[in-house]
Amino acid sequence: MVDGIRDRAWIYQLIYVCLALLIVFMQLVPLRNVPGRLPGPDLLLALTLAWVMRRPDYLPVGLVGMVVLAQDLILMRPPGLWAALVVVACEFLRSRAALTRELTFLMEWLVVSLVMLGMLSAYQLICAIAFVPQPSFGLALVQVLWSAAIFPLVVGASQVGLGLHKPAMGEVDDRGRRL
Amino acid sequence: MAKTRTGPEDYARPLRRFLVGILLMFLVGIFFLWRIDSPRVERFRAAIVDAVVPNLDWALLPVAKAAAMIDDYQSYTRIYEQNQELKRELQQMKAWKEAALQLEQKNARLLDLNQVRLDPRLTHVTGVVMADSGSPFRQSVLLNVGARDGIRDGWATMDGIGLVGRISGVGERTSRVILITDSNSRVPVTVQPSGQKALLAGDNSSLPPLEFLEDSDLVQPGDRVVTSGDGGVLPAGLLVGQVALGTDRRLRVVLSADYARLEFLRVLRSHELVPITDPGRLVAPPLVIPAPPVVDAETSSAAVPEVAPDGSDAPTEGQPDPAVEGGDADG
Repeated sequence: MVDGIRDRAWIYQLIYVCLALLIVFMQLVPLRNVPGRLPGPDLLLALTLAWVMRRPDYLPVGLVGMVVLAQDLILMRPPGLWAALVVVACEFLRSRAALTRELTFLMEWLVVSLVMLGMLSAYQLICAIAFVPQPSFGLALVQVLWSAAIFPLVVGASQVGLGLHKPAMGEVDDRGRRL
Repeated sequence: MAKTRTGPEDYARPLRRFLVGILLMFLVGIFFLWRIDSPRVERFRAAIVDAVVPNLDWALLPVAKAAAMIDDYQSYTRIYEQNQELKRELQQMKAWKEAALQLEQKNARLLDLNQVRLDPRLTHVTGVVMADSGSPFRQSVLLNVGARDGIRDGWATMDGIGLVGRISGVGERTSRVILITDSNSRVPVTVQPSGQKALLAGDNSSLPPLEFLEDSDLVQPGDRVVTSGDGGVLPAGLLVGQVALGTDRRLRVVLSADYARLEFLRVLRSHELVPITDPGRLVAPPLVIPAPPVVDAETSSAAVPEVAPDGSDAPTEGQPDPAVEGGDADG
């Protein structure tokens, strides 16, 4: 019983890595060769933010950084920049975990959407400063809106499918500390 | 400690902040390194993709096929009309086939009369599309042929009919093709009956526009667009597509290659092109005019050396060669 709980963080980290692999894999499947379609959501971003928001203790920041860096490399993005922004966003949410824990889901959703928007702005700004060719702001905005729209689905799926929920009142972690 | 929270405990907090700072500096450092020394990082990236994606190949193909089957299933619902349509088209095709056969025989006779040989240097390597770029903002595909098959940066890639793109980034087992619809792609083209030269500039749409057209009055929708071979970028005379007038009144090109079904691609070996030594680059330095025959035989034969796959022996045309030997494995 105790062992099961103690292993939980590890299991969730493993699941996170597997899901990230699956997402990158699905993006790589050669189906969308026809250009000009509207971009879909950034699932990995939604997943990361949802988990960091709900259970910050499950996702160590180093793991997030490495996973997103690997995604950067494989998806031909400027390596490191998006990963750094995701790390910053995660730390931002993590440091406010005590605050967001008491928010309703609607507010949580709003916070995450604003964070995503901020990340996009920072990304585009840094790309512009560094003279990196970048997609048009409109298309990127569509992607962010999609990511924000899919956030409740990701949260719901994590909660129902993986049992990932906000710590309840008085819940204790594996060492018996209160969360 | 009266208030408990999900944050880390107090003594761990400064340490944690320090570690996060290091991680951030590492990531931003990679970004700056990429910005400053792009070729090396891109080579590192090609090596990573080369190591990762072929291992996913066993799964990529079935998933792609299954998704295509689901797509096709929707068309089964109107299979009867399709059947009728196909029969009609078959009738027309038979007539065309007859015409084509006659033309082919005639052409063969004429070629025979003239003793024409097709350019023997334009042989090709055929590769299978393994993966696409994975991003809606970039148009590229990954082929399952790479440096071990002799693929080099800059070579033209076609499907059975038209130009698809260029090789940009070669790994040991994989190579990346930047499609001509990518916003980084610029292809010098000729519009056929009038001979007008233009630049086909990809813009992430399926109908890339023609830019820098000398006289757009001479170009009409329906004209053939072929590569011009200017700048030594691509071999001349490869079919690209047909001119069409876009809804924004710009002249655009309907590509001949079937972008909805990129499955097998031909990489044209073109040895006379200037080798591109940077993995991320699309345009080579200007083509050097071959040495005049006054020099003795040894130097003229050495003017077009058979370069090593990484292009390190390549003539640099007075430009500092950023590819330093020994920096390939590390990033």
